[in-house]
Amino acid sequence: MVDVFVPDTLDEAVGFLGHHAGAAIPIAGGTDVLVDTRTGRSAPEWLVDLSSLPGLGGVELDGEVLRLGALTRIRAVELDPELQRRAVALVEAAKVLGSVQIRTMATVGGNLCHGTPSAEMPPALLVHDAVAEIVGLGGRRSIPLAELFAGPGRTTLGPDELLTSLRARVRASSAGSCYLRQTVRWSMDLAGVGVAASVEVEGTTVTSARVALAAVAPVPLLVGSATETVVGTDLPSEVADEAGRQAAAACSPISDARGTADYRREVVSVLVPRALRIAWLRATGAWPEGVPAPVNGVWTEEDL
Amino acid sequence: MRIELRVNGDDYRREVEPDLTLLHFLRDVLGLTGTKWGCLTGDCGACTVLVDGEPVVSCLQLACQVRDREVTTVEGLETADGLDEVQAAFVSNGAAQCGFCTPGMIVAVEALLRSNPSPTEAQVRESLSGNLCRCTGYNKIVDAALQAARARLLATDIA
Repeated sequence: MVDVFVPDTLDEAVGFLGHHAGAAIPIAGGTDVLVDTRTGRSAPEWLVDLSSLPGLGGVELDGEVLRLGALTRIRAVELDPELQRRAVALVEAAKVLGSVQIRTMATVGGNLCHGTPSAEMPPALLVHDAVAEIVGLGGRRSIPLAELFAGPGRTTLGPDELLTSLRARVRASSAGSCYLRQTVRWSMDLAGVGVAASVEVEGTTVTSARVALAAVAPVPLLVGSATETVVGTDLPSEVADEAGRQAAAACSPISDARGTADYRREVVSVLVPRALRIAWLRATGAWPEGVPAPVNGVWTEEDL
Repeated sequence: MRIELRVNGDDYRREVEPDLTLLHFLRDVLGLTGTKWGCLTGDCGACTVLVDGEPVVSCLQLACQVRDREVTTVEGLETADGLDEVQAAFVSNGAAQCGFCTPGMIVAVEALLRSNPSPTEAQVRESLSGNLCRCTGYNKIVDAALQAARARLLATDIA
């Protein structure tokens, strides 16, 4: 039987995890951890309940910097009015995760640290240049979020380490982002392909862009080549399509129940240009504020 | 492990196994069997309850994680006047066939109406997307939710 340790402080949590390395895992929302322990995917002796640790939740904005506590619930991200304006990809990714019940329980930190290649939060945070803040027995450290992921179900965190928060860049103007995904079902499904894009503009010209992918590589993937293609352009559809081809070339999907590798690569080449175009329309102010992107990215003028 | 929590307005103090889920605490310790044991993986929503007014799947919540919080189950929705608007609307719309998903559906609708008193049909369907029904085809459940919203707004207006 699994035992539960409830630490009063972060130091106590880290100390316990370090002392029981390999036998203790953290639990917060529980939506992944309890499924894993039930199916035998993990068999810890201890669960370390982080859910009531103070100071690890919450959405804070300081200028262009977003600080997102690791215990922030996915539902809180989805409903945050400031994020709905400034980090649309993050909100759109939150909206399609699980169900209302799952989003009410699941945390941003859990979605990242579970290491699921199809998870929604990683690509959406990667396109906002997120940095992961980590605490362990050796003290605190910060790494670019991309360096957190080590492979399916694995992170680079040491057994004593915890993700405490994310810092991300969320500009208030001349910037836009978008998250699209392909699934078989509309809800309670994992992404067959997840695509996040962000664009910053001067006038209508792209000055900076990011594309990140889920479920098409062992880890969430930031695609540098796609980015270089679109900078300096007004993102016409042929340029967006070229970025899509580069993203498809950069990923390394597997074939499984959610699609074959070839199909996934094809979907990447379709969803990346759609996500980039919507992000650009948002950055230039041509996409009305508050209008969500259709989950597959297909829209007509009438939708706007 | 000793836990203290409030369920449907009553305070409980119990000694529980640390890995006991809230679902099993409600059903086996308190005897509140309205909350259903379905998939045990968070997919079906039959075990939905409110914790501090928010909907959660009680099969993925450890009882010991709910310390000092307030839980509302389907049994806790009834008012002094009888069934509440959501429960009554499920009855009058025939929004149940086998009935196994009904408590979870009712609690999920309750959660929606508390945050959004006049939802659209699309919002009802979205908020019930984590509750599976294998009999009805959902239409009568959606009808019931919309009728419950109207009934509650009307009741509030009159009050």
